[in-house]
Amino acid sequence: MIGSFFRLGIRQMDVQLRMRVLSLWSLGLFFTQPAVFSAIGMLLARAAGNTSPDLIYTVLGAGIMGMWSGLVFTSTYDIRADRREGTLELIVGSPTPLRRVVGFRSLLNILAGSTSMLAAVGAALLIFNYSFAGINTFGVLISFALLLFALWCMGIFLANLLAWSRLSGTFVDLLEMPIALLCGFMYPIGVLPVWMQKISAIFPIRWGLEGLRESLKGSPTGEVLATKWLLALGISLLYYLLARWFDGKVHDHIRVTGELHSI
Amino acid sequence: MINRAAHLVRLYFFQAWFSYRSLFAWSTPFSYMTSKFGFPFFSMLLFVFMGKFVGFLDPMFIVIGNILMMPTTNGLYGISMTIGNERQFGAMSYLLGSPAPRAPLFLGRAFFHILDGFITVLVALPIAMLIFKINFAGINLLLLAVCLILLSITTTGLGFIMGTVSLLSRDGWMFTNTLGQLLYILIGVNIPVERLPGFLQPLSGYLPMTRGIMATRLALSGAGWSEVIGLLAGELLVALVYILIGYTLFRLVERASMSTGSLDSI
Repeated sequence: MIGSFFRLGIRQMDVQLRMRVLSLWSLGLFFTQPAVFSAIGMLLARAAGNTSPDLIYTVLGAGIMGMWSGLVFTSTYDIRADRREGTLELIVGSPTPLRRVVGFRSLLNILAGSTSMLAAVGAALLIFNYSFAGINTFGVLISFALLLFALWCMGIFLANLLAWSRLSGTFVDLLEMPIALLCGFMYPIGVLPVWMQKISAIFPIRWGLEGLRESLKGSPTGEVLATKWLLALGISLLYYLLARWFDGKVHDHIRVTGELHSI
Repeated sequence: MINRAAHLVRLYFFQAWFSYRSLFAWSTPFSYMTSKFGFPFFSMLLFVFMGKFVGFLDPMFIVIGNILMMPTTNGLYGISMTIGNERQFGAMSYLLGSPAPRAPLFLGRAFFHILDGFITVLVALPIAMLIFKINFAGINLLLLAVCLILLSITTTGLGFIMGTVSLLSRDGWMFTNTLGQLLYILIGVNIPVERLPGFLQPLSGYLPMTRGIMATRLALSGAGWSEVIGLLAGELLVALVYILIGYTLFRLVERASMSTGSLDSI
């Protein structure tokens, strides 16, 4: 049982890696776009008269941006690509639940997107001589794990949304920038107006990211960090449950109407 | 002679209308609006907040720059897709096999994108005026209109070039996208060109839109014809060079495909 679960996971991730992730388009999302946004942040800082940019926001923030952009386009594109290639019916008709396939694919998308973060850390270390001395290593690890989990939950939620309605594709494409904007990928959340900060509270990425930044600044593991971790975990689980609910609705719809391709 | 000219004009507008319609055939009004305004609007806000965080004290520079950048959605991405999709939709062989003159076939793909890009900025500017309380009193509206039309035209040169690149490479869209993002840095959209690092400034001068954006900013601040005419002339020249390069590239690719028959198999 467990063996077949992992075998399925490895096969799914292998196919996903070959079919969707290893492409120039994905590499552009993981590396080029974040590098451009990071460069804009640095040049704006330079134009404002700052001698050096804030690396946590400008460089590492771009890494998060790469992870998010990669996730939005690969996870949501998966269902659309299956629809176009005619494999969506085959997947839904197979004994393996669609959600499990989507789950493994999203996992690979997140792991692939993490290379964007690795590149950002590499750039911070090698180009800008950023020092990781004094960081809360335990906090960084927990926060990053929670950030990955938050991204995964949002990924499967968005993928299921796409299976639910063809029109949602437009909506999902539109999410890339607003989430980056609201969750403060490239600046502290306090820069946003209060009403925007309130909206951003419903995204688990914001809390994982805040935890990560606090830990990078060396904040000790205490009540503040724990609160952010709990919020990240709790809201991620809500997205996961919503994704499960959507998954059930999609399957019911398919069974009742016999339609899938036309959704 | 007159019949020949009428035929060319008819072909130009026929191509313009059908290539534009086929590009957005899949689109609902909602997806059209979001693709035109969604990404530019939210990325503009992102840059504004990035500027606020680092202490860049002129958010209006970013707002106006990003609005003036909007025609690239049509001029760069739209035209590049229109040309690149010919192969994807299987229409390239018919197009290359037809005896129709190439100039209206190729250049006709830009007309409605120019119009659409111009209208997009015309819609976005007043909205920005309302949201960000920008005072545009005392501006020369005719000069502003000329600047905006010129901006909508000049982006098409890059679109023609990248469209031809997407005929040569299946990853052409990635190159177009990368170029589009680099424009956010290089042409004075978010950062004044004079404040870019020294090695980037000459590059800005060779790109379309740089002078057009400078001229439009001046026009918005109340400048007259005499102050911007040099910039507009420079912009027009750069635009013509890029359009000529795009057309020449297309003809070269077409000729190569005639001899090798390989265009559809790339």
